[in-house]
Amino acid sequence: MSTRKNERKDASLKILNMHIPSHILMIFWVFIALFPVYLLIINSFKQRMAIYSNPFGLPGVWTLDNYIYVVQGGNFFQYFFNSITVVVVSLATILLLGSLAGYALAHWRTRLSRGIYFFFILGMMLPIKIATIRLLELMKIFDLFNTLWSLFFVYIAMGLPTAVFILTEFIHGLPRDLYEAAYIDGAPRSKIYYGIVLPLIKPALATVGIYNLVPIWNDLWFPLIFITQEDKKTVLLAVTRLQGQYSTDWPRVFALLTLSALPVILLYLSMSKQFVTGLTAGAVKG
Amino acid sequence: MQTTVQRKTSSKNRLNPGGRYWIWYILPALLMYCLFMAYPMLDSVRLSLYEGTTGARTFVGFANYVRLFTDPEVSARFWGAFRNTWVFFAYHMLVQNVLGMLFAVVLTNRTMKGRQFYQTVVFIPCTIAVMVTGYLFKLILNPQFAGPTLRSVGLGFLVKPWLGSEKTALNVISLVSVWQWVGIPTMMFVAGLQGISEDLLEAADIAGANSWQTFWYIKYPLLLPVVGMIAILTFVSNFNAFDIIYAMATPDGAPNYSTDLIGSLFYRYGVAGKHPIGIPEPGVGAAISTAVFFMLLAGVVPTLRATQGKE
Amino acid sequence: MRKLTALLLAVLMMAGLLPALTQAETVKLTMGSWRSDDAEKVQALLDKYKELTGVEIAFQPTVSDQYNATLRLQLDNGTGPDLYYSRSYAVGQELFDAGFSMDCTDIPGVKENFPESALDAWQTPDGKVFAVPFAAVSQVIYYNKTLFAENGLEVPTTFEELIAVSKAFKEKGIEPFANGIASNWDILECVYLGMLPNYVGGADQRALYESGEKKMNDEAFLKSLQDFAELAQYLPEGFESLTNSDGPAMLGLGRSAMFIDGSWTCGTFADYGVEWGAIAFPAPEGAAPAMCFHPDMGITGNNATKYPEEVKAFLTWLATPEGAQTTSTYLPQGFFPMIDAPITFADPAVTEILALNDGKVLDARFVWAKLLNMYTPMVEQLNALTKGETTPEAVAEVFAAEQAKIVGQ
Repeated sequence: MSTRKNERKDASLKILNMHIPSHILMIFWVFIALFPVYLLIINSFKQRMAIYSNPFGLPGVWTLDNYIYVVQGGNFFQYFFNSITVVVVSLATILLLGSLAGYALAHWRTRLSRGIYFFFILGMMLPIKIATIRLLELMKIFDLFNTLWSLFFVYIAMGLPTAVFILTEFIHGLPRDLYEAAYIDGAPRSKIYYGIVLPLIKPALATVGIYNLVPIWNDLWFPLIFITQEDKKTVLLAVTRLQGQYSTDWPRVFALLTLSALPVILLYLSMSKQFVTGLTAGAVKG
Repeated sequence: MQTTVQRKTSSKNRLNPGGRYWIWYILPALLMYCLFMAYPMLDSVRLSLYEGTTGARTFVGFANYVRLFTDPEVSARFWGAFRNTWVFFAYHMLVQNVLGMLFAVVLTNRTMKGRQFYQTVVFIPCTIAVMVTGYLFKLILNPQFAGPTLRSVGLGFLVKPWLGSEKTALNVISLVSVWQWVGIPTMMFVAGLQGISEDLLEAADIAGANSWQTFWYIKYPLLLPVVGMIAILTFVSNFNAFDIIYAMATPDGAPNYSTDLIGSLFYRYGVAGKHPIGIPEPGVGAAISTAVFFMLLAGVVPTLRATQGKE
Repeated sequence: MRKLTALLLAVLMMAGLLPALTQAETVKLTMGSWRSDDAEKVQALLDKYKELTGVEIAFQPTVSDQYNATLRLQLDNGTGPDLYYSRSYAVGQELFDAGFSMDCTDIPGVKENFPESALDAWQTPDGKVFAVPFAAVSQVIYYNKTLFAENGLEVPTTFEELIAVSKAFKEKGIEPFANGIASNWDILECVYLGMLPNYVGGADQRALYESGEKKMNDEAFLKSLQDFAELAQYLPEGFESLTNSDGPAMLGLGRSAMFIDGSWTCGTFADYGVEWGAIAFPAPEGAAPAMCFHPDMGITGNNATKYPEEVKAFLTWLATPEGAQTTSTYLPQGFFPMIDAPITFADPAVTEILALNDGKVLDARFVWAKLLNMYTPMVEQLNALTKGETTPEAVAEVFAAEQAKIVGQ
């Protein structure tokens, strides 16, 4: 009896102990992480040159001019829509194709499949910029200039190596008994894939999604090369419009980026919900 | 896609349908990858055997590689960038990834409050465009503009041209990059830690292990594949990193090439050329990428073998 | 399933967004450039041109320091713009030699209406002109009139006076200059190459160095380096980290008295409400004053354009005095047209800066014409010199050695 009580006391003490340092650490990091973000936001409300006279303080004169310029001048909503479309379609396709391939490569363990897996991983190690010339030619052949398709294909191809890498390993690490039982019972593999495997790998899917989210959203190079038509440009490309040869209109850039950070954060939140629940635990027991 | 399964066949066949079945799962990804990534990149590797830009390409065999490794100026840049990139990588492995694991351990503690908030805050820096991060930190580190503010709070000793000094520039830029990307390993470790079975942790708890022991003897070994994966991803992305140098220094790796990374070296030779000429040498650029590719391979393959596929 | 449906929906969305491709009627040209800063102004100019001729031209600038590479990629690929800005001298010539830029020699007015010094920047050795000269910039020193007045100091007219004034400001706790070395190019293009013509002379003297007759470690160069080193002592605190874009802010906020830069910045000071003026880089006592007046932008046509007639018409218009006058109303402040005809500017400050050219020997930036390979070594040496890591004599020797490599001796 007494040992039980002691254990519980120890447990609660443990809990208390673990949290205060953790909170201190996290709050410390919150300040470090958010200070530049604070700068970003307050400086978007300043007039152009006020950044230099007062970089860290609140604006002496709050102005919405930068936001107004961003929203009115030019096709802001169009850019926004384009960026979101590109990101969502690319991510969805990467996850779909990557998980299918990962599923197969995790189960089909032969020399050939190892070779294919390795072939995918090689793609992680070369910077895709060296392929620009050939990619330009391909886009010309398929007549994809000034379309969002050119961006889809490039980003999907870019995201597949890491997707295959992460998903294959993750699926390989899943305990087999979770679904092998279903096979033996006669369920077709594709149903098993959709019904059992996919839900199990949600954290890995979310990881791959988030990992690719930011590079695709913030990519500048390919929209620069493939798209010159106004209504197909992405948000980041609009930022380059504000970059001059000798000086950049930073408050406007900040306004634009503050606005465009919102969808990214929303996408992140929706994907990171997958981390909250630990799924495998209950499944094994049940 | 469906194989014809006869009732007579043993269950073994169902469980191991073999390549002819699996290939269909892989084909869409493979096609997309081959057409839009593998083929262009391999073709660009082929470019490393040529000199000159379009219209005036001449085959020169391995001359670009020879130049890369023996020409005094080019090879000095190459090895300088190589060395700097390793320093950059060290910061990411030792600071970013360790912090990431630390945060992840804190964030997967089920009884702690405010985890979702902390997790989102940790990730927010990742969403800021690198160009803007670079500018903001340049402002914070600017002796003339940040100086007065720092002095007024008694931090006058921090007023130094951090980004202008060869000794400190790379370190500072590396730390800024760590600041920005720590959310990614955090997220991956969180995913990894979530996957650790409850039973194991309960058993450890009952056996009387404290949190430190639980971490070292149970969580960390089970996280090894994730650690390996993150190491590989960090390694590869650091060797391609360029945006932060562009944003905080110049594509030349100023001051005096001390912040020149492989990524910026490649940019100068393969993409935009040197200021003010601005004409790249794609052959040399491709040679740099190919050479680095083999070096990366030499690092990635052993790491993969050591950390993956353990049951 | 859900994901496939999402994909299908996305595909449908895309299909709905594909623009109608039927627009064969109006002639629409595109113009590429590295000046995103001027997007509004140049588009206004092009709209004016449309009023006059009915031909529509869309201005499509790209990221400035990737312009050369991006343009090259587009030209290689056949997707280049119909008109584009051409860099001066060797860099622009490269595109002509590769067959992309149009031959502008026979465009009426090109050879007649521009002075030799302007054409020189866009001409091949055998006399073919590959772009119509559009704008030049000059290297000046901006100064804060209020600070000079408050401290009772006169605007310097010789190099010695410049140093004296700098000393005086420093003693009063005001930074003499706002220049730094973090933007690698600033110290070379604005400061050193801005002062060099005072020591070396004009284009005819430059030619002697380019041929190797004169060496870059001779007296003239040595003096220029010594004076540069002296000037560098008055760079602001933390100059190793200061970039070119910090300069106008420092001058505008009254933190520094002077800023060595180019004429292109003159429009930015209005935002600070500061009283500013500009002077040419003063020459040493007794030397002939010179000015670095650098041909910067030319415009040329794409040989592969579908509308050669319209392109040539636009280029012709640029080369006429009327066209040039119209253009100058839309040129960004600090960029000067090079046409050989009197041009009036609305902004008196701009006129004032252009007037600095009067009575001076003019030349482009020294290394641009034939010595571009000197660029990187010069930047490295100058950076080291500002930090006190080397001596003017040693730098001069390095210059001569690099020059020998290029000239082939």
